[in-house]
Amino acid sequence: MSQVITAPVAAASRRKFNFSAFEYFVLTLVVLLLAIAIFGPLFAPASVFKSDIGNSLMPPNAANWLGTDDQGRDVFWRLIVGARTTLLSSFLVVTLYSLIGVALATIAAAGPRWLDEALMRLTDIGLALPGMIVALGFAAAMGPSLQSAIIAMAITGWPITARLLRGIMRQTIELPFVAGAQVLGVSKWRLMTKHILPNSLDVLVVKWAGDIGTTVLVLASLSFIGVGAQPPSAEWGATIASARGYVSSAWWTVVAPGAAVAITSIAFGLLGDMIQIRRNPSLREN
Amino acid sequence: MPAFRAYAWFLARRLGLALLTLWGLATLVFLMIKLLPGDEAQMAAGADASAAQIEAVRQRLGLDAPVIVQYVRFLGRLLHGDLGTSNVTLQPVLADLEKVLPSTLELVFFAMFFNLLIAIPIGVIAAYRRGGVFDGASRIGAVVLGGMPAFWLALVLQYVLGSLWRVVPISGQNSFGNAAPVMSGAPTLDALLAGNAASFVDGMYHVLLPALVLAALFSTQIFRTLRAALLGVLRSDFIIAVRAKGATARHMLVRHALPNSLNPVLTLAGTQAGAMIGSAVLVETVFARKGIGAYMFNGVAQKDTFAVLGSVMFIGTAVCLVNLIVDILQLFVDPRIRSAQFGGRTQ
Repeated sequence: MSQVITAPVAAASRRKFNFSAFEYFVLTLVVLLLAIAIFGPLFAPASVFKSDIGNSLMPPNAANWLGTDDQGRDVFWRLIVGARTTLLSSFLVVTLYSLIGVALATIAAAGPRWLDEALMRLTDIGLALPGMIVALGFAAAMGPSLQSAIIAMAITGWPITARLLRGIMRQTIELPFVAGAQVLGVSKWRLMTKHILPNSLDVLVVKWAGDIGTTVLVLASLSFIGVGAQPPSAEWGATIASARGYVSSAWWTVVAPGAAVAITSIAFGLLGDMIQIRRNPSLREN
Repeated sequence: MPAFRAYAWFLARRLGLALLTLWGLATLVFLMIKLLPGDEAQMAAGADASAAQIEAVRQRLGLDAPVIVQYVRFLGRLLHGDLGTSNVTLQPVLADLEKVLPSTLELVFFAMFFNLLIAIPIGVIAAYRRGGVFDGASRIGAVVLGGMPAFWLALVLQYVLGSLWRVVPISGQNSFGNAAPVMSGAPTLDALLAGNAASFVDGMYHVLLPALVLAALFSTQIFRTLRAALLGVLRSDFIIAVRAKGATARHMLVRHALPNSLNPVLTLAGTQAGAMIGSAVLVETVFARKGIGAYMFNGVAQKDTFAVLGSVMFIGTAVCLVNLIVDILQLFVDPRIRSAQFGGRTQ
């Protein structure tokens, strides 16, 4: 009896999302990456950070699935441990700059005309400058470390978010329900934070996954240049930097972490495209 | 003369924005210098400077003055082209950068060439055969290439093409004994100036792989932009008219559809030219090329922070200027932008 009742419900919910095979693939990949980042390091052997010179630069084998690096450390388990560092840092960066973007957009949309103008010119400056190079400068100045790179990327990443969100908020202010709330005597602060902002945040929902994809790439680049995570960190960019001298004698030490960066960046980029198309199906045209 | 006034207004706005951006950049770099841990005079004088030398640097940089005065003096020094002094070469950073700039420009020039050479034909075919196998394959290719870290692609291609198959040189800018006398600093240009064909070919051979890697990083954007623009143009009425007239697909694409879709592509390519100077930092060291990126990379490795920050200022300025030039050129290339300016702000 219960089957008869549940079956249509299940069908209806499936129809609601109606994922294509490709979309299932992207979702699975992203969930898998997140699961690896969250739970993977729990299973890592203690030797991930210990060198074992006698066992160095071993090609992939049964004991070390992706071989070992110059210190004799297992490449596979370092990737798993590095996944947490990379993804956690990227989430942190995107969250931090989104918060900065939200704050500036709210002030610009709610504030007087001159403040809006000033903040938008500030955004213009941020958009016109090469983000990665400025982040590199900040990270180098604060002293190269993963922390510096995260802060540097957070303080250079906000302009696009601020610009987009401020535009949307200006549109939301024009909607009838805002006038209604004003008539009811809702204070300006409450109006902005409780009514206009929540109704404009859609743009961030659409944007965040793609942002993670780009951030993973930039973080790996900064670490490779030497202003991000430092050895012996298992962060992927730093791993590539310390393995680059061994590319001709032990290709797996370089190929594996780079492939991890590429897969992560591509997976989150595709997820971003997917969310964007679902929110705005007219984009499917292109 | 409304047209002239619209031009002047457009130019003034863009110029103003460029100046504002440069000022913002300078302020950011000043902030970075203030963020340096420890004593700035000690940092600027170098690790093994004597107390007297540190004091001399403190005097020269005016570090005893209030921060606001320091800031104004810092801007003044920048206006005179003083980007600071490297602790490693002991030369002004600007002088160091001028030496290696031609090499980076050579790389960017060839990268831009390959960028357009690869992305434009693929974009045209993909848009024309929309939904087909080629379209699907090239879109997947663009996604995959767009997600790859450039420095990693450089390392892998260097290993496969340079070490395993030996089709391109692994590193450097010239084979030993094959370099033309240095005049500009860009090996291929030097070879041309010296009329040395063998050296020119050798220089091209060395720049091939680095330029391709840098191009790969940017060509996915060109591909996407061109494909989207072409899809729009191919839907318009005049294309149907061209086809009805009996023009071949090739003629229609090359003479009618492509020219009408190129504007966003050229704008993007212009901004990419600036961005490429910055991205050289990811490619140059892998191939042991000289250049601004390699200079910056070494600055990080040798803890020569003033060299790094000077390079940030230099690259940022270059990007701003390139963007300004692109904006101005666009005005002359696309009549629609001129008329849009009549309506005041376009945003």
